Amino acid sequence: MRQDRIDFVHNSERALADPTLHSSVRRAMVRFRELQRPVIGEIEEWQALREYAHRVKLHTLSHLDQYLEQLERQIVAAGGQVHWVRDGAQAGRVIADLARSRDDRTVVKSKSMTSEEIELNQVLEAAGCEVVETDLGEYLLQLAGDRPAHIIAPAVHKSKDAIAKLLAEKLGVPVYDDAERLTRVARDALRRKFLAAGVGITGVNFAVAETGTIVVVENEGNARLTTSLPRVHIALMGIEKVIPRLADLGVFLTLLPRAATGQRMSSYVSLLTGPRRAGERDGPEEFHLVIMDNGRTAIQADPVMRESLACIRCGACLDVCPVFERTVGHAYGSVYSGPIGAVITPLYQGLDVAGELPFASSLCGACGEICPVKIDLPRLLLELRARVVQAGGASWAERLFVRGWVATMARSGRLRLVAPIVRLLHRAVARTGIPLPYPFSRWTQFRELPPPARSSFRERWPFAAVGRRR
Amino acid sequence: MNAREEILTRLRATRDPSASLPDLRPPATVPGDLIALFVERATAVGIQVMKDTAHTWVASAVSELRKRSIRAAALWDDPLLSPLAAALESSGIEVISPARHTSDRLAEVAAGITTADAAIALTGTLLLPCDDRRPRSTSLLPPLHLAVLPADRIVATLGHLFQVLHTPLPSALTFITGPSRTADIELTPVMGAHGPTEVIAYVLMD
Repeated sequence: MRQDRIDFVHNSERALADPTLHSSVRRAMVRFRELQRPVIGEIEEWQALREYAHRVKLHTLSHLDQYLEQLERQIVAAGGQVHWVRDGAQAGRVIADLARSRDDRTVVKSKSMTSEEIELNQVLEAAGCEVVETDLGEYLLQLAGDRPAHIIAPAVHKSKDAIAKLLAEKLGVPVYDDAERLTRVARDALRRKFLAAGVGITGVNFAVAETGTIVVVENEGNARLTTSLPRVHIALMGIEKVIPRLADLGVFLTLLPRAATGQRMSSYVSLLTGPRRAGERDGPEEFHLVIMDNGRTAIQADPVMRESLACIRCGACLDVCPVFERTVGHAYGSVYSGPIGAVITPLYQGLDVAGELPFASSLCGACGEICPVKIDLPRLLLELRARVVQAGGASWAERLFVRGWVATMARSGRLRLVAPIVRLLHRAVARTGIPLPYPFSRWTQFRELPPPARSSFRERWPFAAVGRRR
Repeated sequence: MNAREEILTRLRATRDPSASLPDLRPPATVPGDLIALFVERATAVGIQVMKDTAHTWVASAVSELRKRSIRAAALWDDPLLSPLAAALESSGIEVISPARHTSDRLAEVAAGITTADAAIALTGTLLLPCDDRRPRSTSLLPPLHLAVLPADRIVATLGHLFQVLHTPLPSALTFITGPSRTADIELTPVMGAHGPTEVIAYVLMD
């Protein structure tokens, strides 16, 4: 799938210019952080759990073949079917074929980032299926023809008024002004779809190799309906979702809800093992697990970047990121936004397409600190920046500037020589306020240049005295 | 080469035996009274917790249903619920047994009544299995879910639960922590997104 270069700076201008959008996302991120802090803080062993989860994930990622084969054996033993697919196109074909062979072509879908990644809805619609997103946020986006702005809160950029108008227009209901009434309208519309659907599609939060169990975490109950009512359940997972042992869920299910939504536990966690069994009244008659690569084996083969596959899609790194908060998810030009998106989008789509994203960070480090599976996101962002530069991605001006900087800073004699000249120029510019030429204009266009200090650090610091004391 | 072989071949080539699997973590100890903690945490997520006894809970449950003018309730086929089934019938509330738990029927019923196999104190979570006598949708389609939990089934944490969980697992094992909820419209919490609006848990103390 070829894509145009993602122009983050250009994309973010839309969000920056829209104060309503900006403030609603900001409010949401502040709220998420307020919810997360106490429920993370109350777990004394939080840091040890992060470390443990990190080690389990890295072990699994280093033995994926073994665990995926074990998962397959267990799923088949439980009466399910497993399909392996290289990429999104193949996943789309496999799932469309499964859906098309039913009499009832209504497909209900519960929120899945992996399906967004491969634009599954378009494929299924082209195959003649009616696809209904059933997570409330995703449903609203589907009605509006919009895309998710946040991994956990997809419709976070939509105001209540906009949602009320949307539902009134699409469903012919009055324009309600409270969230409860609006939710009820959507619930009723979707209930009818659930009762009629022949196929249910979900993502997978974790897949337990030991027992052949897939785990789906949610709050609304739409994933439970999707996996209880239709005759066929198709679950789509990336190869990185497998974990070795059932008991590891004790740690992962402690980390995920607290980091994702600031809940001690999500309302519903379903552990699903194969289709319904003899005599059971509900649950799917057929269970299909689609295991997808779509660029993941290439990341797995990269010893530095492998760590990024440990991500459990909690969205916490988005919530704490000052760049995400101001630019909103869409600026990242991919379904995965925020710090984790800035790492994996370039890996999936190539540095030529998404090489700008690793620079969409202040490297403040908040993402690395919050990550519940301890992915060192700042380090990965830096590594990708280095790769972009090595591939010739830096402008001539930046390269010239950095070369000069390195030459000056490497010798104290040179610094002594150059610093006073720079300070003179700096003072003159700061006093007169004349606009700087490119490339410095990229900085001063949005920021005031503060005047330099009266005396430099080197002048004030008594180097000789420090030397003597030692 | 098919996709399966292609993926597995690539993964085999990049195996790294030095990344070892850590030993399972022993669950953290939780000081204090587990029942009190469960009540506190379940209440915090919006479950109405009723501490009761095996002798008196049935009358209380019947009156909760009557209070809501409920005329029919879907029940799991579980010995723990037999006294309730009898009491409901004699008070004129229709009892729908699992054989009639079709989704169309359950979608019209006002209450679904189940037991819980276990509960987690630290998170206020109820654990529901499923089999031929215990359908999944009983706790999902009706707007009221009433669950009965003997207090000795409460464990401290998720970690403790996974220590005692029996395998093979049922086709669906569901962790329920509160009513169905959403906050997709401006982060305003709303109960009853797709599942029950109301969850009542009877904790039987004897």
